[in-house]
Amino acid sequence: MPDAPSSDTNLRKPFAPEDEASLRESLRRCSEKTVEAAVAYRKAADPKHIPAIIIGIIERFVEPELRPRLAGECDDLRVIEDLGLDSLTMMEIVMLVEEVTQTKIENDELRGLVTIGDIKIFVDCRARGVPPPAPAKTLLGDDLRALMPIGAPFLFLDDARVSPTQATASYRITGQEFFLAGHFKGNPVMPASIMLESLGQLGVLHLLAGLPVEAGKIVGAATIFFASTDGVRCHRVCKPGDVLTLTLKPKRVKEPLAVYTGSIRVGQEKAIIAEEITLTFGLVEAPVAAHAATEPSVLSAAVA
Amino acid sequence: MPRIFITGLGFITSIGNSAAAVEQSLRELRHGMVSYPPFAANNIPVKVAAPVRDFKTDAEDPEDWTIPAPYAVKREQLRSLSPNALYACCALQQAIADARLAPQDVSNDDTGLYAASAGSPVTLGRQLNRMNQNGVMRCPPLGVVASIAGTVQFNLVAHFKIRGASTGFTSACAASAHALGFAFDEIALGRQKRMFVVGAEDGNTETILPFASMRAVSLNPDPATASRPFDKRRDGFVGTGGAAVLVLESEDEVARRGATPYAEVLGWGQASDGHNVAISHPEGLGLANAMRRALKAAGVSPAEVDHINAHATSTPIGDASECKAIRAVLGEHAARAAVSSTKALTGHGLSLAGAMEAGFCALALKHGFIPGSAHIGELDPVCDGLRIPRATESVQPRIVLNNSSGFGGANVCVVFKQVV
Repeated sequence: MPDAPSSDTNLRKPFAPEDEASLRESLRRCSEKTVEAAVAYRKAADPKHIPAIIIGIIERFVEPELRPRLAGECDDLRVIEDLGLDSLTMMEIVMLVEEVTQTKIENDELRGLVTIGDIKIFVDCRARGVPPPAPAKTLLGDDLRALMPIGAPFLFLDDARVSPTQATASYRITGQEFFLAGHFKGNPVMPASIMLESLGQLGVLHLLAGLPVEAGKIVGAATIFFASTDGVRCHRVCKPGDVLTLTLKPKRVKEPLAVYTGSIRVGQEKAIIAEEITLTFGLVEAPVAAHAATEPSVLSAAVA
Repeated sequence: MPRIFITGLGFITSIGNSAAAVEQSLRELRHGMVSYPPFAANNIPVKVAAPVRDFKTDAEDPEDWTIPAPYAVKREQLRSLSPNALYACCALQQAIADARLAPQDVSNDDTGLYAASAGSPVTLGRQLNRMNQNGVMRCPPLGVVASIAGTVQFNLVAHFKIRGASTGFTSACAASAHALGFAFDEIALGRQKRMFVVGAEDGNTETILPFASMRAVSLNPDPATASRPFDKRRDGFVGTGGAAVLVLESEDEVARRGATPYAEVLGWGQASDGHNVAISHPEGLGLANAMRRALKAAGVSPAEVDHINAHATSTPIGDASECKAIRAVLGEHAARAAVSSTKALTGHGLSLAGAMEAGFCALALKHGFIPGSAHIGELDPVCDGLRIPRATESVQPRIVLNNSSGFGGANVCVVFKQVV
């Protein structure tokens, strides 16, 4: 574990009036809502205030024209790519978060924090004194193909990034896919059914990526099958040359069902939305090394 | 060797934040001195400074600074700026617009930037205080690049996407004259087609007051007379800050773009006193050598010199040394050339001085005037034999020299010519 909970408790001192004044000074460019959340958090140490603190601090560093993106559901937003912040600004954010929440984030922990959701979960775990989840895993080419029970010519993931709360992947439509010869005649269009298949494949990857589901158990690669999908809407025709960006978020993962919500985009354009994609899976005994590394509470806490 | 021209100017100074405002101040001899509020305390014997106008950069957090229109700086850029780098950003924007440079003229392999500054003592001090008080890992991540001596070029090169040569000069009060000289060489040697020359200083308590204990700063509390180079009662310089930017271009670029130059840079020279770390050579030995080398490089004879923008900072020793150097170089022609110090109006800009005053020379050559040497009540006899005009003359100079001298006895002279 990167940091023992005891060091956090050492950092937490009683919240004196002068501490409040200095907290308000540190946050003076943040919204009043952020300041109030921070004051409330420091008084009662209730982690429910953490999301508002994180969003408020990030918002303060984002250029004004990009701030509206933080107003809605924003856990997927990548701090650097989507919000235009550089790694030095990320350092400034971290220092302010550390100061306000009285936590400590080490450099190597910072590398795993890519999205706003990552940061929220990380700080939340720190505040609760539980170990933060393993950082997102990036799986490229051969590693991804080795892990998947599905292979060519029916694998529609090029590379992927998997964390307990989210899996993202990309797939470039090459034009060489065998079914494009007939779908349609002389007009190759990626079938919507195949795009749903690719989201399902990302769910398979999410289940197999070594994320803890139950202590001592792992998901058996041969046990995963498609169960159902619901609320599917197609928005855009995808053709050879398009790069599909797949996003899948777990809603519930409990043997024998894993329920996800998924979407595919091309650039900023919506291509397909699936409100629910459900896979069935079974658990098998984990090899000993994997057993030691798992933390049963993390995934359920993270998706709660 | 290509001919080299000044095609754009930018000024953030105590006497104006545009070429037009600066020209008017030079013509009307309007100075930029004030009773400087940060010097009000009884234990500060210095009372007068010449701060830049319209900017407020005293707050520790740059997001609290006041930046006048039309300038706007994004937070992402602001966080690594010291006050002098902010002034330099604004002056460079001005100079780019003044030279009518397109974005592709600014960012390419053939365009470089040389800057001069002493860094930002106030920013460095705050950075070190914060490090000592809050801990090593709780300092602003960009505190170093916002404070050390290269801060001006670090910021400008990144923000303006400069891709050619870039570096900084730290010869104190001669620094931006050195930057100009070496930028000239860069084009003369065919390495670059265009160079930006930048001089910038914070011009605040932390840059000015450390000069007081060496008895270099005027203790005269009257803003109207505190800076009076060549006057018998002069008692030191008045500090100033801001930024000045010159755009230098090769004749091919001038022709290609159809630019209208302010002036031609004919050449430059430098020499050192080999005498004292902070006191100029009593006979002006190094400065005289620098002037001779500049005239030789420019192919100009002493008889041709119409005007010298003197370094003269209003210190008793420095002004006297320069008078001797000028007399030694010009000889029988000393009485013909008009010698004046615009520091009577601006105060002494330290690393900013050379570029700022080269800009004044360019304005004088373009618009046909010779700035007067202001605030002289009684001329010091050490100036005997020199022609020091007290008021601005509306005559067209043809050849103008700019002198600069810095710590360590570094001296630079640059020769400019009217473009007809």
